[in-house]
Amino acid sequence: MTREEMVVFINAILEQASVPDVMAKLTEQRLATVRFGQNRITQNMDTFERRLRLTLGDGERQAVYSTHRIDMDAIPSILHSAMEMLETASPDPEYMPPVEAGQVYPVVEKWDAETARANPDDRTGAVAAAIETAERNDLEASGITGVSVDTTAIGTSTGNLGFQRSTSAFLRLTMDRGKGSSYRSINSVAWCDLPVDKTVEEVSQEAEADMNQADLEPGSYKLIFEPQAVADLVPYIAWSLNARQADEGLTVFTGRQGEKITGDMFTMSSMVNGIPKGVPFNEEGLAAEDAVWIEKGVLINQPCQRYWAKKTDREPLFIPGTLSIEGGEGSTADLINSVDGRALLFRRFWYIRFVDQKELSLTGMTRDGVFLVENGKIIRPVKDFRWNWKPLDLFNRIEILGTAVRKGQNSIPPMVISETVLG
Amino acid sequence: MIEEMRGLSLKIIEQLQHRGVDYGDVRVENVDLESIAFRKQRLDEAELQANQGIGIRVLVNGCWGFASCSGFETGLIEKTVDRAVDVARSGSCAVGGMVKLSSEKPETGHYDGPCVKNPFEIPRTEKMDLLSSTADIIHSSPLISMSWSYLWFERRKRVFGNTEGTLVSSDLTFTQPILIAYAVHNDDMQSRSLQDGARIAGWEWIEQVDMIAWAEKAREEAIMKVKAPEGPSGVMDLVLDGLHLSLTMHESVGHPTESDRVLGWEANMAGRTFLEISDQEHLKYGSDKVNFIADNTLPYGVASWGWDDDGVPGQKWYTVKNGIFQEFGSVRETALLVDRQHSRGRCRAMDFACFPINRQPNFYLEPGTEQVTPDDLISEVEKGVYIEGRGSFSIDQRRVNFQFGGDLFWEIRNGKKVQPLKKVIYRSKTRDFWGSCDGISDKRFFRTMGLLTCGKGEPVQSARMTHGASVSRFRNIEVGRGAE
Repeated sequence: MTREEMVVFINAILEQASVPDVMAKLTEQRLATVRFGQNRITQNMDTFERRLRLTLGDGERQAVYSTHRIDMDAIPSILHSAMEMLETASPDPEYMPPVEAGQVYPVVEKWDAETARANPDDRTGAVAAAIETAERNDLEASGITGVSVDTTAIGTSTGNLGFQRSTSAFLRLTMDRGKGSSYRSINSVAWCDLPVDKTVEEVSQEAEADMNQADLEPGSYKLIFEPQAVADLVPYIAWSLNARQADEGLTVFTGRQGEKITGDMFTMSSMVNGIPKGVPFNEEGLAAEDAVWIEKGVLINQPCQRYWAKKTDREPLFIPGTLSIEGGEGSTADLINSVDGRALLFRRFWYIRFVDQKELSLTGMTRDGVFLVENGKIIRPVKDFRWNWKPLDLFNRIEILGTAVRKGQNSIPPMVISETVLG
Repeated sequence: MIEEMRGLSLKIIEQLQHRGVDYGDVRVENVDLESIAFRKQRLDEAELQANQGIGIRVLVNGCWGFASCSGFETGLIEKTVDRAVDVARSGSCAVGGMVKLSSEKPETGHYDGPCVKNPFEIPRTEKMDLLSSTADIIHSSPLISMSWSYLWFERRKRVFGNTEGTLVSSDLTFTQPILIAYAVHNDDMQSRSLQDGARIAGWEWIEQVDMIAWAEKAREEAIMKVKAPEGPSGVMDLVLDGLHLSLTMHESVGHPTESDRVLGWEANMAGRTFLEISDQEHLKYGSDKVNFIADNTLPYGVASWGWDDDGVPGQKWYTVKNGIFQEFGSVRETALLVDRQHSRGRCRAMDFACFPINRQPNFYLEPGTEQVTPDDLISEVEKGVYIEGRGSFSIDQRRVNFQFGGDLFWEIRNGKKVQPLKKVIYRSKTRDFWGSCDGISDKRFFRTMGLLTCGKGEPVQSARMTHGASVSRFRNIEVGRGAE
């Protein structure tokens, strides 16, 4: 659907609804990907989905109806089904009408017309390059590459109307032989900006360097986290930040707003038009804003939904689809060179789970590369191992920050953590 | 509706045959979903979904192409056929195709999953009242800070047809109740939850679970847990209930025995396996008492769909027999590659928009054949922990090195459960763990968990399967806690 067609459809829903409070969200997604493993294509797909999510409210109760059956003729039947759900819903003591009129949605440009055409030969060509390099080096390549083309239109009965479209291109690549492996994940708005060839070569060389791993010798090490390793830990902090959950005693952040929760070198924020860019509005149609969550270790803001914000005299706030950890200067290689004594370099973590949600303690495994570093030089690869850490404790002990880079939807630096006992 | 969907499938298959593809299949789905969630004593969200769409998969010169569209609009469907063929051709030109499907007999028929009381015909007010009552019971103590009470129902009508003459359909109703109570005390928070999960069943599953009784149990046990001392550290014995073991077996038996992992197709995401193709039929996986039975015909099992997304019928077989690994679970594309002639029928997609992949089946640890109770198992433990339900879980990508928590813990001392505990985790390695199993209680103590959220594949897909076990005992396991 064009922008105009989506807006016409949203307006028709808003006009024909017989209740005062309406929020409609219409989305389209085309996702075209090639997946590969064992140096062969295992999936090659091009999917399309159009969905309407409609929230109705009568001042006392609310209900949601979602459907793929979308055309102008279907609107009466859509509204009928949604009304049926609404009429049987229990009254909501926390009822909130749609967001008030006058929301000013930031302009977020993340669209590339050529990428939106989703040419299948781009994707299969990238996979062919990865497979060819892997075969030449007696490695196996696996991963996924693709493009996503997303469009969202929202409207509220209070008069807000929003539209957003975006493209995203990505490659996630592993190469391995036996237990030696490497992995990289790259993203960009435009397919042509993906450094495919460079990444394929890097992963191939890094996998080779991971062969013949030694056991980890128990002892004290500095920890060098590549950006991907930091990116794997950060979401667990973000998921625990919610103001209401903290107020209810469920998280480590209970009663901690305004307090020091980690070290001076840790600052986490969201910038709607940073790198990468976020979203202009949330599910409710609330305009996105930049926010600082943790500044130099102090908990400044917490995401808070509208009802709880009103009840606790806060501003409603949400994470606008992107997080940024403040970095310093230098690449991972620069950080390695700068470390005296003994350290371990981590490429990525795997299967991270909460061990204790209230303590924000986590467990996980290392994956795709752990290396012993001595006096600024990589000495040898080390076998993967299980860890049990608290990320706030780790980020309390940051010694050096490198330059932040894009990792998925976040901007993340490499870092060096002070001596930690392992094994 | 099913007849209309079968007719649509036949039309699409005809289009695929006209395009000259080497093989083609189509999945047509119509899914109604109802979910009602109470956060504390308040309706947080009531949602109805009406989903429908089509997924088309083709083989051109040995290379897959897949395309999907939401809705049943004729114009969109024709474009979807074009896109499936286009991407397959692009793949075959760039890389070349290597796909060889196992030969399977064409299937026709229809399967209705068991459903006595259609949950969509139960008045919604009755559902709201049930959740409201459970929430009231849970929150009758001030120590309960938060809770979720949740009902989820799905009616999935699906048709699969292919260019080899298979045309099958299923009508499946999934029902899942969830309750979680969070207790806060002395700056700690602990939870207790109902974890039996989903079944292919109707409202009768909600009645059988008895959420009202569970609400009281969850409240009392969450409070007991938050006030309990922390668990011990050291090497000791574990006695684990069926709900707990459902997750342990899922991670350490279900995933490593998937054929796509041994081939390296998940190496970038879910990971590989410690097993080799040559390990089939001789590798010692566990003690002699350990038998794992895969069963996609288990009536209420959430992977019992009649046929999988290759059109292969549900089957029952041993994954591990008398402690010996038997075979990888396969799909048509992987069967020949893991030295099997035929697929085990494990090919499933999350929905019409996803490419079907090798998923875990329903499978369970076979109960002991002699009359043994959990108390009999506990009576022979000098020092240990009894664990109910699942908690924290993590395992390496080769499925060897794992760490699990639980939902409720009891200290065992000198053959008796002596006090509740909290913050217990244990660590082990897959074959060591199953090799240490020296007692399995009989079928009276068998419990199952229907899981709806097994994540795998890229883009990630959730899959469904049911696991089960009787209370079982494991010797000399490392027990501790997480980060200090």
